[in-house]
Amino acid sequence: MTAPAVQVRSPVAVQEARAAAVRDAVLRTTLLLGVGFVLLPLAIVVVYSFSSVPYGVFPPPGLSLRWYGHLLGLPAFRAAFARSAVIALLATGLALGIGVLGALALVRGRFRGKELLRGFLLSPIVMPKIVLGVGWFIFFARLGLQGGILPLVLAHSIVVLPFVITIVAANLVGLDVALEEAAQDLGASTPTVLWRIVLPQIRAGVLTAGVLAFIVSFDQVESSIFLTRGENNTLPIEMFLYMEKWQDPTIAALSTLLIVFAAALVGVVLLAGRGADVRRLFPR
Amino acid sequence: MKLSGTAVLGLLAPGLAAMAVLYVVPLGVYFVNSFHVFRDGRILPVWTFQTYLDYFTDPFSYKVIAESVRLSLVVTGLALAIGYPVAYALQTRVRATGTRALLALLLFSPLLVSVVVRTYGWLILLASQGLVNTALRAVGVIDEPLSLLFNTRGVVISLTHIMLPFAIFPIYSVMGRLDRDLKDAATDLGAGWWEAFRHVTLPLTMPGVVAGALICFTLALSAFVTPRLLGGGRVQVLPRMVYNNTVEINWPAGAVSGLVLLALSMAAVWALNAVLRRLPSV
Repeated sequence: MTAPAVQVRSPVAVQEARAAAVRDAVLRTTLLLGVGFVLLPLAIVVVYSFSSVPYGVFPPPGLSLRWYGHLLGLPAFRAAFARSAVIALLATGLALGIGVLGALALVRGRFRGKELLRGFLLSPIVMPKIVLGVGWFIFFARLGLQGGILPLVLAHSIVVLPFVITIVAANLVGLDVALEEAAQDLGASTPTVLWRIVLPQIRAGVLTAGVLAFIVSFDQVESSIFLTRGENNTLPIEMFLYMEKWQDPTIAALSTLLIVFAAALVGVVLLAGRGADVRRLFPR
Repeated sequence: MKLSGTAVLGLLAPGLAAMAVLYVVPLGVYFVNSFHVFRDGRILPVWTFQTYLDYFTDPFSYKVIAESVRLSLVVTGLALAIGYPVAYALQTRVRATGTRALLALLLFSPLLVSVVVRTYGWLILLASQGLVNTALRAVGVIDEPLSLLFNTRGVVISLTHIMLPFAIFPIYSVMGRLDRDLKDAATDLGAGWWEAFRHVTLPLTMPGVVAGALICFTLALSAFVTPRLLGGGRVQVLPRMVYNNTVEINWPAGAVSGLVLLALSMAAVWALNAVLRRLPSV
């Protein structure tokens, strides 16, 4: 008894339905190819980290863990990882401290030149990193502040500040002002309202900003390459310099560990924010 | 919360102080060097436009500028050409919210991994016996391996990959805010899929495309790691000039190169913002 239903459809409608099906298939394939393209270099790095040979050939002739072993024998990478993590933590802390306050002034304050000020505070995003890097190199050299992690922490805090301000400001916009005003009317001072009322409500946003700032700081090359001098190399710079000389899968083994590390960080954010803030990053 | 003038000032003070000392002053100290000259291995602290004159009368400078702009334009074009259909498919062809969030996270995920790692991935993929050449030969597209490393091709492929998430997300988010009724209205009035897309979806998502172009172009223009590791000596772009000049202690020339790089970025920001203002908003 299904036959009549089919006959009702005109040839044009059938053609259109077929075209729509083809379109769906093409678009779905495009999406999968896009995701594949995006993940391909990361996937190949993981595969190569288990290669048995030092040269690039696909597929690798055999599997081994020798590059992980080789990596363990290179303490410079371990030290650079720890250094990068400490720098990223300190720079993130500094930027969060400055940035949360700044975002609050930008969202809640009413003053002339606010847009100009916002543009200024966000401008490090568009400034070419290599230009900033040379600027800091000359600046810290003039101050006699060379080597160690302090110049790197200070430089990275400026690089990540715009990210912190943007995310925290976006989180502040959605808050109910009435809560803060009620607290103020009941006699709470501005710092108290900030600490007891505002901050607890934007905890997830601050965490997201912090994780992003950490990742951005951890990834700095151009802005930092003139501030490092061997003794204080950060991890990406240590890797960059290693890659300029050798291209064996030791870097692949290290990269694989970093991919796992990044995945763990994302997991923390997803769990802590129960996905709410990540969904805000990807609006429908 | 009502903030008094003093409170606003107090909240802004740490940020402004940090930006003044650690951003404005270093950039100023750096750019002041462009008015000095580099002679016989030393920087002479004289005030002159000589370094600018030398830079803009050297044909090599224009070659580098042209190469930088061309590379950034090609990469931006490719990233948008791939990113648009991917964003469109993600927005219109994936119904389940969870699946969509997962796919969005996967598309975003390379940004969580160092640019050095991603560039290294392409170094492996594009090698003469790497996956790309092996696959192309297996399919029979080529007989001899293509030379994809240490020339512009490899840099273009790798930079396109690096820029892709920045192209996808602005388009994706504008598309999400698009009023579906507009498209349905067009279809109800007899427009086919293509007409509806061409006259409704595409023009209304142009703000996302322009925003993506802005991010991709400025980031590609200032990219250093990828041209350096995958470009060999052939891909000479502005950030590499800034780097080389600085290494040679020729800060004056480096400062001029840096200013040219900054001016090109600003010009792109200004031009694309002007385009953005003239587009219909969703």
